[in-house]
Amino acid sequence: MENSGKHCKIWAVGGGKGGTGKSFITSSMGTSLALKGSKTILLDADLGGANLHTFFGLNRPRYSLSDFFDKKIPLQDIIVHSGIANLGLVTGSLGSLDSEGINYAQKQKLFRHIRTLDADHILIDLGGGTHINTLDTFLLADRMIVVTVPEVTAIENMYQFIKSVYFRKMKFIFKTYDLNTTIQETWKNRAAHNIRSLKDLIAHLKDSSEHIRSIFDREMSGFIVHIVVNQVRTPKDILMGENLQNVCMNFLGLPVIYSGYARQDEAVQKNINSKEPFMIFNRISPVVKEIKTLTENIITGTQLIIRKDLANGSLP
Amino acid sequence: MEAYLKYFDLLDLSPEATIDEIRKNYSDLKALYSGDSIEITALNEDYSQELIQDYLLRLDCAYEELSLLLENKRPVVIKKTITMDDGMSDWIKSINNFTGVALRTIRERMGVDVKEIFAATRIQPQYLEDIENEKFSSFRAEVYLRSYLIEYTRFLSLDTEKVLADYLPRYRKFQGINADI
Repeated sequence: MENSGKHCKIWAVGGGKGGTGKSFITSSMGTSLALKGSKTILLDADLGGANLHTFFGLNRPRYSLSDFFDKKIPLQDIIVHSGIANLGLVTGSLGSLDSEGINYAQKQKLFRHIRTLDADHILIDLGGGTHINTLDTFLLADRMIVVTVPEVTAIENMYQFIKSVYFRKMKFIFKTYDLNTTIQETWKNRAAHNIRSLKDLIAHLKDSSEHIRSIFDREMSGFIVHIVVNQVRTPKDILMGENLQNVCMNFLGLPVIYSGYARQDEAVQKNINSKEPFMIFNRISPVVKEIKTLTENIITGTQLIIRKDLANGSLP
Repeated sequence: MEAYLKYFDLLDLSPEATIDEIRKNYSDLKALYSGDSIEITALNEDYSQELIQDYLLRLDCAYEELSLLLENKRPVVIKKTITMDDGMSDWIKSINNFTGVALRTIRERMGVDVKEIFAATRIQPQYLEDIENEKFSSFRAEVYLRSYLIEYTRFLSLDTEKVLADYLPRYRKFQGINADI
């Protein structure tokens, strides 16, 4: 990736299903980073509902991401102040990143410009869905984060999203090595090779040649998705993150890290409805601590440490 | 050693893990993959009974191998020295039926509390009492009971093999009856 030598880190937040709280987690993580003194910029790329600004009590700003593409307005000039020190915001607009009209080159251009911004962290809220544009944007990030909730439909979509992202990356890499026909042929003849899943496909490809194995080891080893479980209600919900990590590894062959969770809290909901950034206004909600923990875990790439006796008690 | 690393990996543990952590992760994972949890059902087409069974089999194997490994290599635990005069050791030698009641009698005559055994072995007092009460339903698999008994007898400096040979057949009989139901 170009300019990756720059100090700024790009975080992408996605996760398949809508309504899992991606914007909430993105805005809270951004606030947490800004409060710690890091220059942070949030970028709203949610098609269905670009409303990241609402979390900061702002009205829809004058300029949005589409002005960057259509009117060539410098990205720097689109950033609005969030009202919190060190925290800037780029609003999305309908049809910006998810639109079919924006091709890979334009996305790369956007990322080139993003990386020149004067910031330590840039957090992109991708919204739901597994549109190719969303997947590609997700893959361009330095830190890939999915947000899910403890519900079967959300988890289905999350598995699907991580699988799609991984498959997309795999195809992309095989293309650069002129091996894309290999992957297509193998998948077409999957019955003959007894391939039933993405995991089987990966194993088969790795075993097929030393060359392919080394490509996997070199190119895919950095692929790690961070999982955040939002709206937890019980200790069992908290432990679910560990289970998801295990299932992804064993049944999908996908490396993921459970970074943390945020509980369901009426008080936080109230803050959001009153358009108050809760990380600032609400000092007592345990969610504040939970957001800080998960943000820290994503930075260091560590797994959430869960108290062993959690399963028997109530929420900590 | 390579194989053991794989076992630890399967149980989601680092090679420094203790026997307790191994036990805990084993039972957690077993519960996760045996039940119809959300995490598993959401897998849809990536899930099949065959895949799960294969995984559970590998999990069982990893657990058994690792418990054997750790039991043999286990550092000697610091415990209170049990003073046994000749009369006591002769009395123990004369015992042939190591029922739960017999085990409790031995323990009590040695002046050992279950909490002390717990402190050294980390086996929950509840399980220690279940062993003494022969409450077999507390032990889902022989492998648990067996490893607990080994710890228990070692702590009391009993002849482990002798106790296992007498005690375990009753558990197996119980399991057998249960399987028929």
